[in-house]
Amino acid sequence: MSDVLSTAPQTQPVPAPVKKAKKSKETEVGRSSAMTWVWNAVALFAALIMAFPIYWMIITTFKTNKDLIAQDPTFWPSTFSLDSYRTIFDDADFLPALRSTLFLTVGAVVLGVAVGFLAAVAVARFNFRGRSFFIVTMLVVQMVPLIAILIPLFVVMNNANMTGNLFGVILAYLVFTVPYVIWTLRSFIVNIPPELDEAAMVDGCTQWGAFFRVILPLTLPGLVTTAVYSWIQAWNEFIVASVLLNSGHTKTSMVWLTAYSSSPTRAADYGSQMAGGLLVSLPVIILFVFFQKKVSAGLTAGAVKG
Amino acid sequence: MSVTTNETVTRSESQGPAPVKKPQRRGVFAGGQYIPYTLLLPAVVVLAGVLVYPIYKLIDLSFQNVNKFAYLAHPERASYIGFDGYSKVLGDGAFWDVILRSVYFTAELVILSMVLGMLLALLLNRVSAWVRITFFTVMMFVWAIPALVNGQVFRWMFSSNSGVVDYIAYLLTGDETWKHYDWFADSTVGLYVVGAAVVIWGALPFLVLGLYAALTQVPKELMEAAKLDGANNLQAFRHVTLPVIRPFLMISTALSFIWDFQVFAQIYSLRNASPESGYQTIGTYLYMHGVGSSQYSNASVISIVMILMMLAVLVYYIRQMLKIGANER
Repeated sequence: MSDVLSTAPQTQPVPAPVKKAKKSKETEVGRSSAMTWVWNAVALFAALIMAFPIYWMIITTFKTNKDLIAQDPTFWPSTFSLDSYRTIFDDADFLPALRSTLFLTVGAVVLGVAVGFLAAVAVARFNFRGRSFFIVTMLVVQMVPLIAILIPLFVVMNNANMTGNLFGVILAYLVFTVPYVIWTLRSFIVNIPPELDEAAMVDGCTQWGAFFRVILPLTLPGLVTTAVYSWIQAWNEFIVASVLLNSGHTKTSMVWLTAYSSSPTRAADYGSQMAGGLLVSLPVIILFVFFQKKVSAGLTAGAVKG
Repeated sequence: MSVTTNETVTRSESQGPAPVKKPQRRGVFAGGQYIPYTLLLPAVVVLAGVLVYPIYKLIDLSFQNVNKFAYLAHPERASYIGFDGYSKVLGDGAFWDVILRSVYFTAELVILSMVLGMLLALLLNRVSAWVRITFFTVMMFVWAIPALVNGQVFRWMFSSNSGVVDYIAYLLTGDETWKHYDWFADSTVGLYVVGAAVVIWGALPFLVLGLYAALTQVPKELMEAAKLDGANNLQAFRHVTLPVIRPFLMISTALSFIWDFQVFAQIYSLRNASPESGYQTIGTYLYMHGVGSSQYSNASVISIVMILMMLAVLVYYIRQMLKIGANER
C-alpha cells in the first residue's frame, strides 16, 4: 500500500502517462456506460425503498376512513380528505404542545450555544491549568447515554422543585447541548489565527470591537451549525421531557404524540397518528432542507476534527 | 499558537522583567489571568448541576433501596443497603437476557448498517449525477424524520390489519395468509426484523452521505495506478480505498455503536409505548424499570452497568480521538 502511495505522485508530473490515463478513463467510461444504467436502476430501486415509508406516511394522512380500514390498502387514496389533519387540530393539547416545544427548544439552543461558546473560546484560545482535563471530560461526557442519567436527573430536579415545568427541561437539555457545542466550536475557533484580531486592534478596534468584528463573524458558521444541530436534538427529545414533565399538564410535541398514539381512542387511527407525526416533524424537516450541509457538517465536525 | 506564546511569557516573568515587552496573551484576550476560568464558569456550573451531581446521585442511589415513589417524598425512609441492590439486579435472569439481547441487537444493527451503508456509498460512486441527487434528496428527508415518528410509521406499515407490508408480501407471493401475518406476535421477528429495519432505515442517511463523502477523497490516480499494477476490484478497495476512508469508518462505527446500544425511541414507539419483555434491550429495559415502575435504585444499577459496558467498548475510540485532538495543536 505504501508503495502505491509513494509511486503515484512521481508518475503524475510526466506528461505522457497523464494523457494515457485520460485515454484509459475514456475507455473506462465507454465500457461502463451500459453498466452505469444497471447501477442507476439499482440505486433508484434503493431510493424507492428508502422513500416508501415517507410516501406511505404522507399518503395515509390524506386517506378517508374507508381507505384506511380497507383490507387491501390502496397505494393512492380513492378520495383525498383532510379529516386526519382536522382531528389533530381539534385536539386541545396539540397546539399548546407545539408552543411549549418551541419555547423549550429556543431556550435550550440559546442557552446551550451561549454557555458552550464561552467555554469553547476558553478552551481554544487559552492555555490554563486543567485544560486538557476539561477537554477529555467533554469527550467522555458526550458518550454517557442520556437515558442512563435519566433517573438521577429526575431525582435531582425533583428535589430542586424543577419537575413539571419547562425551565427544568431546558436546564436538563444542557446536558447534551453544552458538551457538543464546546467540542464542535472549539475546532472552529482554533482555526482563527490570533494575528487577525491583533491586526484589528492595531487598526484601532477595542477589545470588544475586535471580538465582535473579527472573532464572532468568523465563528458564525460554527454557531449556526451547532445551533441547528442542537435545535434538532432538543426538538426530537422525548425521554427527558416525558419524565421531567410527568406530573404537570405541559407536554412537548413528542410527549404529546406518544400520549396521543397510545391513547385507547387513537391507537388504531393511523390516519390522524400519521398526520400528527408529520406535523410534529415538520419544523425539523424544514430546518433540514435549509441547512442540510450544516447538519451533516455538524454531526461530523466535532467527531472528525476533534 | 497561543499556547506557545503563553508558555514563553510565564517563563520570562519568572526570570524577572522581560527584556522585550511581549503581549501577555495574544489577540482580543490580552491581559487578565482569570479570563479563561470566567469563560468556563457557566459551563462548569451547568454541567456540575445537571451532569456531575446526577452521576454522583446515580452511584448513591444504586446503593440504596429507593424503589418506590414514596421514598422520594419521604427520604428518611430510604436506607443504604450496600451491594444488595447490585446482587438483586445482577442475580435476575431477565437482566442477563436483556444484556444478551442488547449485544445481539447492537451487533446486528452496527454490522448491517455499516455494510449496507458502504454498499450504497460504493453504488452512488458509480451512478449518474441525477440519480445521485435523487438518492441524496430521499436520504435527507429520511434523516429529518424524528426517531419516535420512525417507529410509528413502521408500526403502521407492519400492522397486521391493513398493513402495507403484508399486502405487498401478498401481491408478490399470491398467498392470502400473508394478509394477516402478525409481525409483532413473535418478539424475535418483531425485534430483529422490524425493529432492526426501523433503526437501520433511520441510520443509513448519515452513514451513506458520510461514507460517500469519504469515498470522494480517494484520489482517482491512485485507483488507476492500482488497476494498472494489476489489482482487481477487491484488492483495490482493500489497499487503496480502505486506508483513505479508515478515519471516517472508525468514527461512524463508534457512533453507530453508541446510538444502537442505547436505542430507545424507535422500539418504544414501534410497540406503542409498551414494549413487551421480548422487545426490551438495555435502553427500554432501563426505562420500563426506572420510569414505568419507579424502581429508582434498580434502574441506577442498570444505568451503571450500561455506562460501564459502553465505556469498555469505546476506550479504544476515545484514545484515538484524543490522539487526533493532540495532533491538531
